[in-house]
This record gives sequence, C-alpha cells and structure tokens, in this order.
Amino acid sequence: MNAEFLIPLLAAAVQSGTPILFATLGEMFTEKAGVLNLGVEGMMMVGALAAFTTSLATGSPWTGLVAGGLAAAALGCLHGLACLTFQGNQVVSGLALTILGTGLANYLGTPYIGQTAPGFMALPVPGLSQIPVLGRVLFSQDALVYLSFALPGLFWLFWQRTRWGMACTAAGEHPAAAEAAGLNPVALRWAAIAAGGFLVGLGGAYLSLAYTHLWTNGMSSGRGWIAVALVIFAFWRPGRAVFGAYLFGGVMAFQLRLQASGTNLPSSLLLMLPYALTVGVLLFSAMRGQGGSSDAPEALGINVEPRE
Amino acid sequence: MAERIKRTPPPKGDPVVRLEGITKRFGKVVANEDITLDIFAGRIKALLGENGAGKSTLMSILSGRYPPDAGRIAVDGRPAHFTSTSGAIEAGIGMVYQHFMLVRSMTVAENVMLGQEGGIWTSPRRMRDHVAELAERYGLHVDPAAKVSQLSMGERQRVEILKLLHRDSKVLILDEPTTVLTPRETGQLFEALWAMADAGKSIVFISHKLEEVLAVADEVAILRRGRIVDEMDQNEIGSKEDLATRMIGRALLLAVDRTRAPMGETVLEIDNLSGHGLEDIGLRVRQGEVVAVVGVAGNGQKALVETVTGLLPPQSGDVTLLGRPWREFYARPDWKETLSYVPEDRMGLAACPELDLTENVLLTTRAGFVRGPWLERAKAADVTRGLARRHHVTPQEPAALARQLSGGNLQKLVLAREFYRKPRIIVAEQPTQGLDVAATEEVWHRLLNARTKAGVLLVTGDVTEALQLADTIAVMFRGRIMDVFDAADQSKVKAIGRLMAGLPADPGG
Amino acid sequence: MPFWKAVKREEPLRWGSFFIFLAAMGLSLAISCALLAVQGRPPLAALSILWNGAFGQWYAVEDTLLKAVPIFLCSLGVAVAFRMQVWNIGAEGQFALGAVGATWAVLAMPGLPAWLMLPLMGLCAAAAGGLWAVIPAWLRTRLKVNEIITTLMLNYIGILFLDWLVYGPWKDPSSFGFPMTREFPPAAVVGAIPGSRLHWGLAVCLAAAVAMHLFLNRTRMGYEIKACGQGRNPARYARMPYNFLVLFVMGLCGALAGLAGFLETSAVTGRLQPSIMVGYGYTAIVVAWLARLKPGAIAWASVLLAALRVGVENLQLDLQVPAAFGGIMEGLILLTVLAGQFFRNYRFKTRRTDAAPAKEAES
Repeated sequence: MNAEFLIPLLAAAVQSGTPILFATLGEMFTEKAGVLNLGVEGMMMVGALAAFTTSLATGSPWTGLVAGGLAAAALGCLHGLACLTFQGNQVVSGLALTILGTGLANYLGTPYIGQTAPGFMALPVPGLSQIPVLGRVLFSQDALVYLSFALPGLFWLFWQRTRWGMACTAAGEHPAAAEAAGLNPVALRWAAIAAGGFLVGLGGAYLSLAYTHLWTNGMSSGRGWIAVALVIFAFWRPGRAVFGAYLFGGVMAFQLRLQASGTNLPSSLLLMLPYALTVGVLLFSAMRGQGGSSDAPEALGINVEPRE
Repeated sequence: MAERIKRTPPPKGDPVVRLEGITKRFGKVVANEDITLDIFAGRIKALLGENGAGKSTLMSILSGRYPPDAGRIAVDGRPAHFTSTSGAIEAGIGMVYQHFMLVRSMTVAENVMLGQEGGIWTSPRRMRDHVAELAERYGLHVDPAAKVSQLSMGERQRVEILKLLHRDSKVLILDEPTTVLTPRETGQLFEALWAMADAGKSIVFISHKLEEVLAVADEVAILRRGRIVDEMDQNEIGSKEDLATRMIGRALLLAVDRTRAPMGETVLEIDNLSGHGLEDIGLRVRQGEVVAVVGVAGNGQKALVETVTGLLPPQSGDVTLLGRPWREFYARPDWKETLSYVPEDRMGLAACPELDLTENVLLTTRAGFVRGPWLERAKAADVTRGLARRHHVTPQEPAALARQLSGGNLQKLVLAREFYRKPRIIVAEQPTQGLDVAATEEVWHRLLNARTKAGVLLVTGDVTEALQLADTIAVMFRGRIMDVFDAADQSKVKAIGRLMAGLPADPGG
Repeated sequence: MPFWKAVKREEPLRWGSFFIFLAAMGLSLAISCALLAVQGRPPLAALSILWNGAFGQWYAVEDTLLKAVPIFLCSLGVAVAFRMQVWNIGAEGQFALGAVGATWAVLAMPGLPAWLMLPLMGLCAAAAGGLWAVIPAWLRTRLKVNEIITTLMLNYIGILFLDWLVYGPWKDPSSFGFPMTREFPPAAVVGAIPGSRLHWGLAVCLAAAVAMHLFLNRTRMGYEIKACGQGRNPARYARMPYNFLVLFVMGLCGALAGLAGFLETSAVTGRLQPSIMVGYGYTAIVVAWLARLKPGAIAWASVLLAALRVGVENLQLDLQVPAAFGGIMEGLILLTVLAGQFFRNYRFKTRRTDAAPAKEAES
C-alpha cells in the first residue's frame, strides 16, 4: 500500500463519505429535537431522484440540489404528519417512509435509468489544492464537498449559540419544559423534521449529481441506515459524525477499489463490509458509554401528547 | 418552619388579575365551577383545598396552560385570552410547577433564558452574568453555570422562580412548592416570597398544608370540589382546625384509631447496609409493627426501597427477610406470603395504563393462576371482579383499562392486589400521595389492618402520615438514618424537622 | 391549527378499526391511482387488473395464497416481537438464513427419506433463522445496542451471504453460471396439496396460527410478553424475566421467518436461489401493524398484501408498471393505517376561542 494507492483512496473516501455526512447531520438535527426518523433511506432516494430530474430538466445542478433537498423535506413532512399530528409510533412511521420513499424513487425513476444529468464537477481550490496530500484529498473536490466542510461548524453554531438551537434542544429533551417556557415543541419538531430532511435530501442529491451523474435504482444502498447508526455513534454531536462519515466513505471506496482490482475475494463478502462495520461501530459506542443512549435526547422517539 | 413575620401587606387596591365565572371540565369531571377570584399586588394569597379540589386546574388556566370552558380573565382591568403559556407569560403571569419543567442537560442560565426574546445569538457568559445578578437581587442562591442535573430539589425550585422573575412576572403562582423542601429550605423560600411581595409582586401559593398557609399567607381562598367556598384575610383566619373544617366541610378526622397491635417475630432486618448512596442503615420491622422511614424525597429512600424489594442487590451489609438472607429470599420468591411492594409510582410501576384490570392484577399474582404453561384468565377475571367489588374500586369491569381509573381507585386496586397475596412484609411508598382525604383515610385503614399478618415499612415524606400510622419512626437524610425512635416519644417527634435537614436533634449540640 | 384540537378519548374506540382500515385503504389506492395517471397509465384499468390478477380466477387466488404463506409466517413472528416493543426489522435476513439452513440440510444429507428430510430441513431453517435473530437480541440485552439497526444490517449481510453461497460454494455446476444450487431431490420438496398448486405449507401456517393464538392468549409466557411490552419498569417491578423474553421472542420470530424461507425454497422454487428474496420480510412488518399484532387479523392482512403483490406483478406485465409500485402502495398503506389509528384513541374537537357559556355537561 503506497502513496499512489492511498491518496486517491482518501480522496475517494471524502467523496463517498460526503453524502453520508449530509444525511447523518440531517438525521441528527431531527433527532436532537426529539423526533426519530427512520425514513432516511427513503428520503435520500427521493432527494437523489428529484435532484437528478430537476437538473436534467433545467440544466442547472444547483437547482437540482435545492429540489433534492425540498423533495426529501416534503417526504419527511409526511412522517411529521403521522407522528406529530396523528401521534403515530415514530419507529413504524419511519419504516413506512423508507418503504414508500424507496418505492417512489424506484418507480418514478425507471424512465431515467441510463441517462446523465448535468452535475457537479471537481473544483480545485486555487492554491490550496497544490498542498501535497491534503491538497488532493480535501481541496480538489466538488463544490458540495466544500459545502459539507462548513456544515459541522454551522451545526454546532446553531445548536450551541442560537436561541432557536436552545429551543429545539428543549423540545428534544423535555417538551413540557419548552411549553412552560412559552415555546411550541410541536412546531419546533416540525421545523427540525423539515430542516433535517432538507439536509438528508442534499445527501441524496450528492449521489446523483456529484458522486455519479447518473440515476440507478437502489442508489443509496443502505447509506441512509448507516447515517442513523452514525448519529448514535457520534453521541449526537457533529464532530464525531464527520469521523464516522469519512470512515464509512473510506470503507466503501476501499471495497470498490478492491473489487475493481480483480481480487479473489468474492464480491458478496466484500459488499458486506459497510454493514458489518455499522454493527461494529454500534457495538463500540455501546461499550464506551451505556449504549450511547445516555447522550440521546431524553424525549427522543416520544410523542408530545396533545393537551386538554 | 419560619416564624411568621409581622408583615403588613399593602392595601388591596384594584386587582391585578381578576378571574370571573371560570368553569373547566375534563370529560365528566367538573374541575372548576363558576370561580371568581381577585389577585392583588404585593400580597400573598394562599389557595387551599384538599387534593382534587381544583386548585391546580384553576392556576393552570390562569397561567395559560388550558383554556377555560367558560368565564373571563382580566389583567389590570383589561380582558385577556391566553391561548398558550407564552401568552400568559407575556401578560406577566407565571407558574412554578410541582414537577419542575427544567431541561436537565442544560445549565441554570440556559433554563432561565429559554424561550426569551432577544436576537438570534446567545452568549453563555452574558446569560450567566444576567442570571447571577438576578439571583443576587432576590436572594435565590444558585450557580448559573451548573447543569440542572447536578442541583438539589431546592436549588431547582430556585431556578424555576428565577425563570419567572426574569420575565418580570407580576403574578407568580407556586404549586405545592414545599413538597420537595426540607424545613430549612422552606423557611428560605418563605423569605424569598416575602421579598418578592415587598417588591410589588403578587404571589399565589397553592397548598394543602395548613401550617404553611398560616405562616406565609396574607389572605386565603378555600376551594372544595371545584368551587370557592370561603375567602378570608389574614386577620380573619383562625386556627388550623378552623381552616381544616372549612376546607373539607367537617372536622379533619385524619386521626385514625390506632391501637398497638401485638408484635410478632421480626420479618425484616437490615444491618449495616451500605452502598448505592446508603450509609450504614440499620432497621428492624416486626409483624404487627409499622415502621415509617421519613425524609425529604431524594435522600436515599429509593435505594433503600429497591434493596428491600429485591430490585437492587445490597452492596455491603445484611438484609434478612422472613429469616432468610436477601440472596436466598429473592432467588426464587413465592408469589404469596412474601413481600409486597406498593410503589409511589402507581401508573408507571405498579400498574400499566394500557392493560386491563385483570392483566394488572395478574402482574404480581400470575403465579397463582398458572396450571402448567397455561394461564387461567377466566379465574383471574373473577378474582379481579371480586377484589374490585370488595374494595370499592370503580369501574368494576375487569376489562376496563387501568388508565380509566382515578388515582384513588387505582391505589385501592393495587392495595387489593397486594393484600390478595397475603404478604408478610409490606413496603408502602408514599401511599396516599395525590389522594383526597376520603381515599387517604381508606388507605390508612387498610394498611393498619394489614398489620395483623404483616410488618409494614412505610416510606414517606409526609410527617403527618408517619405520625398517624407508625409505631416506630426512622428519619433519613443523605443515605443515613439519623435516628430511630418510638412514635410516642414526643421530644423526638418535635425534632423530626431538624433531623430531616441533617441537623442534630438537640439544637444545643 | 388553533381551531382544531386533539382530545384523548375516555375509552378507546372499539368498532372503528374496520372503518379506519377501509378509509386507509381507500386513500392509499386513490393516491396510487393518481401516481399511475401521472405517468400516463389508465388508473381504473389498473385497479381492475390489480383485482383480477389477485382474485379473478382460481389460478390467481392460488398465486395469492402461495405468496401469503411466507408473508404470514414472517408476520406472525414480527408481531410477537413488536408486542414487546422489540423492533425486529430483520425478518428478511432471518428468512434468508432459514432458506440457507434448509438447503444445508439437503446438501449435507441428500439421501434421507422425506419423512426425515423435511422435518430436518424445517428444524435447520428455524435454528438458522432463530440464531440470526438472537444475535441482535443478545446485543440489545447485554450491550443495549439498538436492535433496529442491527437487525437491518443483518438483513443486508444475510442476503449477501446467501448470494455468496449460490454464486460460490453451493453453485450447481450444471446451471451454466446462473446463481442457484442443485435442484432438490423429491424427498426435500414440500409437496403440493392434491388438486391444486398450493402446497402443504398452508397447513404449517394454520398450525402456527393456532399455536400462536394459544400461546399469546392462554399461556403465562404470552401474558408476560404483553406485560413486558408495556415497559421495562413495570416488568422489573413484577419480576418478569425481561431479558430472557427479549431473546426468546426474537428467537421465535427468527424461527418463524426461517420456516418461511424453508417453505419458499423447498415448495416454490425447489432449490436455493436469490430470487426468493423479494421483500417478504418488510411486507411482514406492514401486515403486522395493519393487523394490530393479532394472529387472526394477520391471516387476512397477509392475504391482502399477497394479493397486492400478485396484482402488481400483473400490472407489470400488462401495463409495464415498474415493480416498485408495490412498495409505494405498501408504504402508503402503512402510513395511512398508522395515522388512522389515531382516531381510536383521540378525536378532533373544535375549540371555541371566546369565553361563551359552557356547553352542556356530557351526560
């Protein structure tokens, strides 16, 4: 394993990890406000398709990106409707969303298989991209990767230093306290679902507009679920989410390269890597701190009962 | 208990808040009926009534939590409609709830400033400074940078009050504020309340504790069954008995006829129990005896109860139940003629709200309805119906869900179930919390009757309850037993307040 | 929404479930038809194809019942797990492992007579599926690892494992590169009920349904499962063997899903091949929720969703509708049913914002 193999691998890890990072931060946003959204996989698919078709229709990948975010947010709002308005079980509703979203994306996307849409191209940062190693890994990527660099910081800023971040935290830890303080926890949760969903959609859009410029059925291949696991692994903080996302990005990139290099290892076993790693990552989090669940927002997954 | 300061409250003037004709129903229950009440600036009004009289409901309406079904609210003479708590807060009315509405993972400063107006950005340092200054002004000592999870109950209550003061609340409503305080903290609270009243704020103080009302209030309003039955100023208030009579319409009979039962063998013995926050606990309960462990909530009672009831293995020391060591006793416990536990948390622990009555009865008695792998549900349903009838539980239908029962009925069902098991040891935790006087009396009678076959370990924060029921009293503070004494020993009884606060019984040293 | 408010009912609505279900189905069908129309396909014709494809003739009904078998068994297991609030999403992977287990029995001991072979296959399938489920259960009880994600990951891993076996060590040399094992000897095939294409797996379903009903409603363990599902705290108070029950329930669920895998492999395809993985495990979750976790209702809900699958297959053939359409319908049904169940426990009420005289007291 030499530099000529390692550096492109690391660069690919960043690329492969970026959609996971978007999705993880999006789900984390929703969960910190107290809503468990297991529909991430479906939302990523819908976002990917919406972004693809919009970019194809308008010729602008940026429009496609926004469309992807909005589509996923809209799907997320169905989850909001089922749970926040109709007091539905959050686990089951999320699953329904995944089934629905995946079905929708595969159904509506069938005519688009094989087509290419205008996407995001590599955009080396002048100057920074000349740095040995780091330049190629971090600063010769596309615009969305650079956007994702800013995300964790913005995330932290929102949750730790703004009034609305504090309000959403209260909605996720103790909705009754939020209510007593004059806030509306249900409205805050709606906003978190929409905002988090938008981010998840951006992750999906990345898959069809930057990682590839294609649409295929089953585009996300479990990344959405990996994102849900990574939120737990990250103890609901953005810093570790970055590490986790790039770790998985690296594993997926590694696995692709290994397959392409004509190894003897059967592809089925190689493909298992990310999923086995997810279990490993959860095990690790569990052994570190009481299942990692002690850091979870106290009211996560618990609906706010309507008052008399 | 703070001595009553000869404080002259300001004259009444125009009411800051006027409630007129307020009515509120929950399903079939009329919680408030046609209530009219005035609140004046700079005065402390006590709202007195037994559990279920409608005090909390009325104040929840005033604080914007629920809308009234009928009636009007006027603030400073102008009509006000509150659609949410924030509306009430804006109008200057705020409430300190019995169950604190604090986010445990956030700091004191963050909790106080939660939901406040003022720009997008927050600065933790500015928040801390502001809260520190506020705390200083009213003498409510608490560290603004501390996480709420690290605070004591008294400190958490101060945070709740600071929240209201921060919003310039004109009217502060406190719902049973002293339940979680030691006597010393209660005194500190009363002084803070007087300071706030002197600053012109109106205080409404909900309570069912007559001594406190006598100590702190400028005026009293008494609720019974959803209506205001009496209103008096400070100089019109008579004695405790007088208040009690007005409160329930008859003399407060809460003196159960307690004769000593013949004591039998020791059923529960605890020696040098330590660990899990407990320090060298020693207790003995005999058949026919009621031993009350008295203390403010959060001083180790939970660990003690969990150890005795088998949920937590003792770390060091010996616990002997019915003559057998803990490990042996709980290795294969029988379902009957052993230990019965009546927990404080009725609906979350002792019973499941979404299961029906039969299934709830089966929770601890299922082993008695088993034949091989089969469960004799029909027989269990019959037994349930019988129990419900004998113990006056409504509704009596075994298929009714537990959440349809009121607090009193649920407690009666839980007791019925546990007594069906013919226990030799009964551990009862705050058994009458949240119950009205009639239910309380019933529960007390049942517990006393159970003494003939069992020893009772009563864990409570209500000193009155302990004095009514117990033969022996043990006072608990910070995981230690401060003292164990006979309930008839008057000198020791007088010192209970000091012991509960961790002070030596004799002020002399 | 200041004018409507959700209000909890005193007693849950008992008779409304059927109407809720009808409304949910109606809404789902309507939205699905709209989607079809969006892509230029005639919605009413599609509905007719759906119906006929599933129930039109005896042939179609047989198809439906055949598909209902694996869905039913998986769903039975999933429902028990859900009763305890153990969220087993892994029925799909457990189904795969069951198929693998049964195949292993055939490949290891090909000469056995049917009366030995078939029960052995069933046993191996149940054990394999059960084991695949117990792993995440153990992780949950010992390490508090979230079982939703672990069971899901094991789905992916289980399917890939099956893929590896049929592409690799178990591949039939005479199959010209197609991923499948050798054909099973007749002794290893669950036979057809004479006079139809239905197989004896239906009898297994019936037996399982009766056994499950008795287990859940008449045994002590069934009661304990229900009580534990209410929460850890009351379970601890009542001294219920909570952790043991989690493992047991998951093992049971995995065993049932494994049995379904065995039946699919043995009776329907006659060999192990990846085409048996069509998502029955996920459909099972929809069925379980639709049926509110009761074995009786699970039976007809399985038939319903099996009918949907068969109907969608016909739509594929006749109108070139992509297979993913079935997923859309399933997702919509689950969402609408979930939302509809709201009305069992709550109702909406208009809120008067002025302080008008109170409405008359409810009698």
